[in-house]
Order: sequence, then structure tokens, then C-alpha cells
Amino acid sequence: MSATPVISLQQASLTYRKRGFSGGTLTAVKSVDLEIAAGETLGLVGESGSGKSSLGKLCLGLAKPSEGNVAFQGAPFPGRKALLGKLSVVLQHPEWALNPRLRCGPSVAEPLEIAKWGDAVKRSARVAELMGQVGLDPSFAERYPGELSGGQRQRVAIARALATQPEFVLFDEAVSALDVSVQAQILNLIRSLQAEQGFAALFISHDLAATRYLCNRIAVMYKGEIVEQADARRFYGQPDHPYSRALLAAIS
Amino acid sequence: MSALLHAKDLVVAYETGRGRVQALDSLNLTVEPGETLAIVGESGSGKSTLGLAVGRLLPAVALKESGSLTLQGQEVFAAAPDALRRLRRDLLGFVFQNPMSALDPTMRVGRQVSRAAGGCGTAEMQALLVKAGLDEPERVAASYPHELSGGMAQRVVIAMAIARGPALLIADEPTASLDVSIRARVMKTLLDLQKDAGASLIVLTHDLHLAARSCQRLAVMYGGRVVEVGRSATVLSRPAHPYTRGLLAAAAGNEAPGEDLKPIPGLPPLLRQRAPDCSFAPRCPFAEARCTDLRPEARELDRREVVCHLAERVLVEASR
Repeated sequence: MSATPVISLQQASLTYRKRGFSGGTLTAVKSVDLEIAAGETLGLVGESGSGKSSLGKLCLGLAKPSEGNVAFQGAPFPGRKALLGKLSVVLQHPEWALNPRLRCGPSVAEPLEIAKWGDAVKRSARVAELMGQVGLDPSFAERYPGELSGGQRQRVAIARALATQPEFVLFDEAVSALDVSVQAQILNLIRSLQAEQGFAALFISHDLAATRYLCNRIAVMYKGEIVEQADARRFYGQPDHPYSRALLAAIS
Repeated sequence: MSALLHAKDLVVAYETGRGRVQALDSLNLTVEPGETLAIVGESGSGKSTLGLAVGRLLPAVALKESGSLTLQGQEVFAAAPDALRRLRRDLLGFVFQNPMSALDPTMRVGRQVSRAAGGCGTAEMQALLVKAGLDEPERVAASYPHELSGGMAQRVVIAMAIARGPALLIADEPTASLDVSIRARVMKTLLDLQKDAGASLIVLTHDLHLAARSCQRLAVMYGGRVVEVGRSATVLSRPAHPYTRGLLAAAAGNEAPGEDLKPIPGLPPLLRQRAPDCSFAPRCPFAEARCTDLRPEARELDRREVVCHLAERVLVEASR
């Protein structure tokens, strides 16, 4: 593929200053090279504290790399305004991602409103369409998040994330809090939505089983570095790095 | 009766603002001394209610309506306050999902552990911590819970649970809040200690892999009932209940590359009263007319107990 990747990182590092008087620093991401093309899902696995979420922040432009480069569609990140509606994120706990006092419809319409997309009538039609796409009845727009099950709430959160047809979606532990059977529904949903809309995605998880099912490629992160990056199929067999093997052993 | 734990037709319901919800629907289960049993099921299947019921730790809105639950022959729900305290203290050990909320944040770990062990001395307390796989007992004992990592805190909880040599350990999602890379080791510690103490262990989990690897027997719960129970290897290699089969097909990790996961359609039921039929029928790919007419009862089939009218057909499908 010769097209420009949606997200690309070159030797990107992210260093945090530690709190307190000691003034130490912590390098959460160390010289990472990464590319995510349109229509591709890259899986990112690793233990807690390995720097997965920090890498996610870099990809969303929420943090500037201390060293190296991060590019969005081939150019450095433009201002927030220019990025409006192009980047999106689905988090682990849908109950924290949705305003509990807002019905699901307005929650899903909110990103469209901010992007000044269409008028109220067009927006509510779009909300109904989105609800359908994530496998919910349009009547769910009238309900409060508290009335929904975990899986339904995650569907609403995904509808909200995809409302503006973003170029890049970050899924940060998006299925970790869900039950086995619901997990499979959401994984299949993400797959089919991506086939329809062709967004690039980064799927962060500590669950190798879910990741290798969903993703085209998998990057394994360990202590801030990417220690292995390979085709997802490789993770059904024998991956190279000892840490990848340890992760694999944990699921079989 | 030699069984350690015996639940017979146990019915537990929650009185909520929106009416009555039946969490356990005539549940039957037996645990023998020294055995390891995993109970798997989706959220809302009633597994945590069962775990809490064993220690009579259910919240006030939960009512045991009928049936019996005995621990070493003692009726748990009829025990007088004194007897109940003795039972909790001497027979039971609990390990919950989140170690941080199981420990007192304002008390140093060492004091909490020696209290759990009935006010034992420092040496004995440190020996318990070492047994639970904590290498630096002095440092850990002098720490507050927030100064420990999740894995270490869970080891402290395990040390407290085994302090009195319980006859039954109940672990509710013991490793779910821990990092993948240390789950196996913490689980191994739990199993080693259980074996040393000769205690029985009940693991409540929704992780089929964990259940298969760590426990001899497996019980699958759905809609407040145990729908299939038998040796883990038997149940998972040849499931006889459509729900067990569905769980296996839905879990990532069993599929071949390129194969699709098959989620179980629909939602788990919210029971208002005793189910008059099979509560899995609306989601079941095998369901027939009799599934919605007649409540299935437990029966023996192919070395396990199963609650399904069509178990024979499910078994034949599975072996194909």
C-alpha cells in the first residue's frame, strides 16, 4: 500500500516528569515506530504500566512527543479545530463515557453539534441511522444510559464515537469490562463497522485473545518499547519475543 | 451426609424498588471436601449471590425464600448469631475481586493479617505472608494497602483468607482485577495453599480458560440455576447444554485464525419468579416447543449433570 498512513510515529518518545521534589523523569514510550493505514486495525497489547495508554495519547495528539515525530495523514498534527470530528475514542467503561443525565440520543448527537454538522432534523436522522448501525433500536435514543445493559451502553458509546465518521478511532480496553458473550458481539460489531467505514483503528487491550481476533497486525509493548510487531496470525502460532509467548500462554 | 457444602432447591430473591428479582431459582449444588469447583456464567447469572449466600453475607434486600444451604451439616440460614460467627470464622475464607476494597485502607497490612489470624504474633503473621508468596514480609507488613501493587494486595487477602485454615475458600473473580502476566502466579498460590490446607475451593469467574485450568469440576450457571456440572475436561470438551456450548463459541481464544466468533444472541433473563420453563429457551438455537412449556430438571447424562430437555441432541452436535 502506497497511500499515506493515517497515523504514523517515527522514533516517538514520551517522557513524564515525576511529581514531587525529586524531579525524576519517566519515559513511558521509548522510540516507537508505528504506522496505521486506513481500514486497518492495529492491536496493542502489554501489561499495565507498559505505556499502551500513553502511546494512545500520542496517536490522538493529546500529548506531544518529547522526541521523534507523530504525523496524522502525513503531516504534523494541525490545531484542534482542524481535527474536529476526525479523531475518536472508545473507552473501557461506557458508563463513564456517557453523561448519565443525558438521554442516549443527545449524547450521540453531541459530537455532531460541536462539529456544526447539519441542522437538528438532519442530526436526529443521523442519530437514528447510527443506532441502527450499532444494532440498537432507534427508540434507544430516548433512554438514559442507566437503563441499558453494559453491552448496549458500549454500543451507544461506539455510535457516539463514529458519529462524525472519524478517520481514526482509538479503542482503549473497549471490551475488557464486558461479559464473554457480549464481548463477541462488540468485537464483531467493530469489525463490520470498520469494513463499512474504513477508519483506521488502534485497539489497546491486555487481552491477546480478543486482540488477535479483531486486528490485522499486533504490536506487543513491554516497558515502553514495542518488542514485537507482526501479523495477527502469527499470534495463533509461535510469536518471536519471549514476552509475547508469555501473553499467549496466559490465554491457552 | 459427607458433603462439605450442600445447596438444595435454594431460592434467593432481591426486593428492589422495581419489584422482586429472583437471583437463585431452586439451585442445587454439592461441594465435597478438598475439591476445586469453578462456577462460570455471565453477569446476572447468580454466581456472586451464591458465593455470598454461603457466608450469609447477602445484603439486607436479599431474602432466602426457600430451600436449604448447609455447611458441614449446619443450616447456614438458621444459624444463631454466635454459631454464624463461628462458621464464618472457622470454616470460610473469602477472596474478592478487588483487593483494595477488601483491605482496610487506614490500617497497616501486618495488623490486619494478624487480626484475621485471631491476634497472632509477628512471626506467625510474617509466616502467613511468606506462604502467600510475599518475599519481603517485614516491608509488606509495615505498608498500608495503597502502597502495595494489586498482585501483592491480592496475596495479602489470600493470606488472610487462609489464616484460620478454613474448610472452604470462596474466590469471586480472584484475578480479574490483576494484570494478565501475574494472574497465573496468583492463581497458583491460591491453589497451592488450598491444597496444603486441605480446603475446598470455589472459584466464581466468567473466564472459561481460568476455570478449565484451575479447577477439577465446573458448574455452569444460567438464570439462577446450575445448568451443567461435571468434570471440567468433560464439560468443556463435550458440552451438553446449549449455553455452555454458546459460551465456548463466543469466547475469543478458541477460534481458528480467520474464523468468526459466534455471540449468544439476546440478553440474560431477569427472573421475577420461579421460571416455568427453560430460561435459556429464547436465546437457544436448539429450542423446541417443550422448552417453553416445561421446566427442565437436572438429570445425569454422559458423566455430568445437565438441565436441558435436548441435551442428547446437543451432545451429538458437539461430537460432530
